Amino acid sequence: MAEIKLKLKKKPELPLEADIITPDNLVGKTIAEIKKLAIYHGKEVVKLGDFFDISGKSTDINDTKIIIEGDLSNVKRIGEKMSGGEIVVNGNVGMHVGNQMNGGKITVNGNADDWAGAMLQGGELEINGDAGHYVGAAYRGFWQGMKNGTIKVKGKVGNETLAWVNGSKPGNRFPKLICGSAGAFLGIHSHGGIIIVEGDSDRCAGADQVRGTIVIKGKISRLLPSFKKIGEVNEIELPNGEKITGKYIEYSGDHSVAKNHSKIDKKTGEISNSSNGRLYIAA
Amino acid sequence: MVERKIKTIYDVVCPFCGTLCDDLEVDIDIKEDSVIEVRNGCQIGTKKFFSSNPSGHRYLKPRIKTNGEHKEVSWDEAIDAAADILVKAKRPLLYGFSSTECEAQSKGVELAEILGAILDNTASVCHGPSLLAIQDVGAPLSTLGEYKNRADLVIFWGSNPVHAHPRHLGRYSEFVRGYFRKDGRNDRFIIVVDPRNTHTAQIADLFIQVKPNEDYELINAIRAVLRGVELDVKEVSGVSIEKIRELVDMLKLCNFGVIFFGMGLTQTLAHHRNIDAAICLTRELNDHTKFLLEPMRGHYNVTGANQVFTWNTGYAYSIDFSRGYPRYNPGEFSSVDLLIKDEVDSSLIVASDPASNFPAAAVKNLFKHPLISIDPHETPTSAFADVVLPAAFAGIECEGTAYRMDSVPLRLRKVKNAPGECISDKEILEKLIIKVKEKLGE
Ligand code: SF4
Repeated sequence: MAEIKLKLKKKPELPLEADIITPDNLVGKTIAEIKKLAIYHGKEVVKLGDFFDISGKSTDINDTKIIIEGDLSNVKRIGEKMSGGEIVVNGNVGMHVGNQMNGGKITVNGNADDWAGAMLQGGELEINGDAGHYVGAAYRGFWQGMKNGTIKVKGKVGNETLAWVNGSKPGNRFPKLICGSAGAFLGIHSHGGIIIVEGDSDRCAGADQVRGTIVIKGKISRLLPSFKKIGEVNEIELPNGEKITGKYIEYSGDHSVAKNHSKIDKKTGEISNSSNGRLYIAA
Repeated sequence: MVERKIKTIYDVVCPFCGTLCDDLEVDIDIKEDSVIEVRNGCQIGTKKFFSSNPSGHRYLKPRIKTNGEHKEVSWDEAIDAAADILVKAKRPLLYGFSSTECEAQSKGVELAEILGAILDNTASVCHGPSLLAIQDVGAPLSTLGEYKNRADLVIFWGSNPVHAHPRHLGRYSEFVRGYFRKDGRNDRFIIVVDPRNTHTAQIADLFIQVKPNEDYELINAIRAVLRGVELDVKEVSGVSIEKIRELVDMLKLCNFGVIFFGMGLTQTLAHHRNIDAAICLTRELNDHTKFLLEPMRGHYNVTGANQVFTWNTGYAYSIDFSRGYPRYNPGEFSSVDLLIKDEVDSSLIVASDPASNFPAAAVKNLFKHPLISIDPHETPTSAFADVVLPAAFAGIECEGTAYRMDSVPLRLRKVKNAPGECISDKEILEKLIIKVKEKLGE
């Protein structure tokens, strides 16, 4: 695999917007050309080479690996809308890493700030640390958030992770998140996301969830009153066919949503098991 | 005894809170150019008129800080110094705007665009979450006259108008007689939902005490019960299920209901999701009856700031011009977040006092960098500013437009002249724009 190496010279004083750093933008360019690419430091337009030492080369996008070294916690938008190839960040990374990407892979060996993988359309984002709020969430005012792909976060994710996630079984789109622990309002307004929390979750997971599956292998600090207990299960089948075994309590919901597909039969009071929202919490 | 020459001005709009009462009568001593009496206004609105009178805390001339002390200077010097700060900054912040008129606000937008600055108004610390929720799920809103004439069920959720909007109750929501509510207070059922037994709660028909920060769960349960779902729990957020059922019946059986929500919903945990849920509840209640909701906006023209910013840039607050075009992302471009992360390198504060109401960590960073304050009188912010540009009080000393909390624009009036060399916010911003353009070589 052809590699391009970027090393941050010094931490910028103001946030740096480096949406140019994607395999799509760097591939096929000489190092001299790459150094001249524009990035934004506050309102100043500066060159990539002003802030990074750059070496390596590449020819084909899917064969390109960009390795970035340094404390990038102030560098935003790395990997924005990338469609292939690979980015490895060895350090913390700023907001919006991998937002709207639709292919390829980003690995962050550190923590990520807010909006990591926001509105992901495909590909894989792996964060080997903690992530901020709004991981994989829809940007303000969008009704369709993450549509496909996978986000893995080793540590915790912040609030409103995967807000407005939008999966579709007929469309064969299964947006998926695996995280260590989660903040409040996990998967709010979910329309078919798959969320697996290895540890605990804060309040209101699955709020306003229309479809989707949330599995919490630890505890939840406060369960929404509009979730109804169905019973105990020993195995969970996720919408994408994968299975999780273990003792879980199954809840259906969110029953406060008018559009909820989980219909309650007026005569028998039973909940139909159609394609409705599910929340599983370890027994 | 000295003879006083008094002029009375009628139908004055009160430039204090979002209720924007338009029936004040102000007596002016023409010789002294001072306010001597205000009628019809509430206590807080009246005080603002009196505070415009010449006094020790009003600025009369521009000031520049040299060696830690404010020195009075000429307008030219002050504008030059201010423009210098703004032009040199790589990421300037323009904040405030909610207590001034719309024409000045649009000048603020122009200046921000020229500077590539970040533009924000006080909605980012009050009803910004309401705007986020409205973006997500829409909002069934109306004008205050509709509520006055029609509402027979009024809910104050996390708002305390007795103190924050004193005449709201008398003019629109509680005591006033309406076209279909001939008996005023007797024709309305008032519900207050709040963690505290506020003065508004004490004059309500029903007070629901919700646990702090658990409003979301309560709204969620109400929505589920409204849909006919049997809940597994006996109690939600400190409210029993029986009580929730009773409440839902009341909501369904009223003719016309309205929820007035305040910062008790927007600025407690869950923020915009509280509003999101409240909006969804209101929407779903319309399957049974007529129901609307209304944010209780605080500053008299914060609604105007949102309107002006929106028609100019497409966004209501937290706008970043650093890339030449407006971008919007509260949390990333909102003042408090930027200041806490120390991501701005100079600030221009217009008609606002962030030093009094921002978190300490943000204020510390605000003072660390060059600071310009446009304000009629001394505030904790202006006291620490490097350049102080003295303004006339919009709505008292100069005209302009302001938007009431329900987005109805009203014309503010000039009742007296500004003291000293004070000029309007709009004129100050115009001067700044000319100077900044000159320095940028445009
Ligand atoms: S209620 Fe508000 S607008 Fe009306 S007089 Fe009082 S402060 Fe002024």
